Amino acid sequence: MNDGKKGRRRRSSSLLYQEPPESMEHMSDQSALPNLNADWVNAKGAWTIHIVLIIALKILFDIIPGVSQETSWTLTNITYMFGSYLMFHWVQGVPFEFNAGAYDNLNMWEQIDNGDQYTPAKKFLLIVPILLFLLSTHYTHYDFIYFMINFLAVLGVVIPKLPWSHRLRVGFLSGNPDDR
Amino acid sequence: MDLHDAQSWLVEFQSQLSLQFQKMPGSAIFLRYVKSSYQNDPIRSAVELFLFLFAIRYLLAPSYSTQKKSYVTLSDEEVDELVDDWTPEPLVAPQTSFEEAENERIPVIVGPTGPKTKLSSGRTVTNLASFNFYNLIGNETLKEKAIQTLRTYGVGPCGPPGFYGTQDVHMKTESDIAAYLGASACIVYAQAFSTISSVIPAFSKRGDIIVADRAVNYAIRKGIQISRSTVRWYDHNNLEDMQRVLERVVKEQAKKPLTRRFIVTEGLFENVGDMADIPKIIELKLRYKFRLILDETWSFGVLGRTGRGITEHQNVDAAEVDMIIGSLAGPLCAGGGFCAGSQEIVEHQRISAAAYTFSAALPAMLATTASEVLHMLETNSDMLTQVKENIKTMWTQLDPRSDWVHCTSSVENPIMILVLKAEVISGKKLTVSDQEQLLQDVVDESLVNGVLITRLKSMPRAINVTAKDIGWELQPALKVCITSGLSKREIEKAGITIRHAITKVVNKRK
Repeated sequence: MNDGKKGRRRRSSSLLYQEPPESMEHMSDQSALPNLNADWVNAKGAWTIHIVLIIALKILFDIIPGVSQETSWTLTNITYMFGSYLMFHWVQGVPFEFNAGAYDNLNMWEQIDNGDQYTPAKKFLLIVPILLFLLSTHYTHYDFIYFMINFLAVLGVVIPKLPWSHRLRVGFLSGNPDDR
Repeated sequence: MDLHDAQSWLVEFQSQLSLQFQKMPGSAIFLRYVKSSYQNDPIRSAVELFLFLFAIRYLLAPSYSTQKKSYVTLSDEEVDELVDDWTPEPLVAPQTSFEEAENERIPVIVGPTGPKTKLSSGRTVTNLASFNFYNLIGNETLKEKAIQTLRTYGVGPCGPPGFYGTQDVHMKTESDIAAYLGASACIVYAQAFSTISSVIPAFSKRGDIIVADRAVNYAIRKGIQISRSTVRWYDHNNLEDMQRVLERVVKEQAKKPLTRRFIVTEGLFENVGDMADIPKIIELKLRYKFRLILDETWSFGVLGRTGRGITEHQNVDAAEVDMIIGSLAGPLCAGGGFCAGSQEIVEHQRISAAAYTFSAALPAMLATTASEVLHMLETNSDMLTQVKENIKTMWTQLDPRSDWVHCTSSVENPIMILVLKAEVISGKKLTVSDQEQLLQDVVDESLVNGVLITRLKSMPRAINVTAKDIGWELQPALKVCITSGLSKREIEKAGITIRHAITKVVNKRK
């Protein structure tokens, strides 16, 4: 009756794979209820919490004895990058049962603002890690090792946020698309 | 000289610029930052600068939508033109001549229904068109009990079960059904039809797999459709085909993340009347690790020594079936439906089954009636034997004796589905609508002779679904519902009337 496999075949063994557009049924399920999983990024206080969390992380790593300023900044940086990668780019779907699983193939970044690019929320969420990176490289006194760690971490969250990588899946990261 | 002028102007401009820059708040910090960040490492600085410039570019870019536009932009004139041209289609399609003729002659019952029913024409006819198998409609004890409940509880609970709608009688009915079936828990729904179409989507979601019989009824089809699951159909009651489908699903899913998998079938099929082979299905579901959703709407209260349904009839432990869905409306003459299963399965439905959470609870008197009928079935197995006798009597009149029709129902099913024999259809070259017309003539002819029967009226297939998609076509049929309210002689007489009506109508057709 509703064979969801139609049009979701993957080209054989290509490393990059673009998530195909949704079927009518998917789209009607997506718009059945607001997507609470992604809509909160536009809510009041949703931007401030990033700053607050970063400061909290910095304080946390500062009070651990024996941690130098350089390590503390680097830890703050990579913790934030890792957390935001996990939240925005790794986990797919919606944790609530509101849209009959119609978002199961999209990660949170792709759900934000219905997939629109360069929206204020997305601009903010991209600027924060870049600024944090510039800050942490500055305070790690441009040590090469710290710089590389921080730089790779920031690339990890900036690249998946680019419009170019919208709905793009990397083979070895997310597996065969038919699996999902 | 010009060059010199320009040079001095440039120097002037530069000093002005640096002055302005130093006047700017924060410029000292910026300068310090740039100086300290350079650190004799141009490549790293370039990387940082690039990242910074990229951020600026990202900030300034205008937003755009990635959604594909699925509509055409029209000018106002074009819109007006289209609106002018538009003539609305009728909300309901005009009746076909067949429907018109059928509706004109539709019998109207006056007063209460029962084995003998008075029609608006003033005649009293034998009623073989109600699911009144045990003649509980005319049962005085049940009526008394219902009136008593009505006086205590009022008509409806006026609220969904999770919101002040649950009354003690509902909980009692639930435990009664569970105890009767031998399941560990049970949940009572307010409508029989929406029970299965709500149980399936409560458990099976997008990406999950349902393996279903091709001949399942409309409510199950709706449930499967709402659940958005992937469906694999197997041929009606063909367990070899089922095994093939299960094997294929297991093979396809071998390397994929685990999904929920269900087998959906009916105990007694609404559209065909035959019986599923539950022990074999349970063996397969255990072997291939599926869950079984069994719709016992037409077999609960009918099959088995004490009416416990197909599990009792085929000597299966009801706990082996993951979900048993049944109706309290048909043979039990009450109302509503239920789903019996393990504690977890039932509790899950209390918050996630749409028909349970979003519908007012079952009226209290229907709940007590259901409990009472179950008690009667358990203690008085004569009720069932009487129906079984009557079914046998009707079979001897119709199936082997009639040259034109045969019964696809199983011999235990009080709903006899009579279809035209294949040789009759091919001999007379009857299309589906021809068969419908012919059977409607049979219904009319028997009514003239005092026996009220009906045709199998099934809901149409879903939009855009053809018989080829499902791989199964509903065959037009007569529906004869046996009741214990008639004596053996009366059943015999009614059977003869039906047989003669069939013979007369089919013979008339060239």
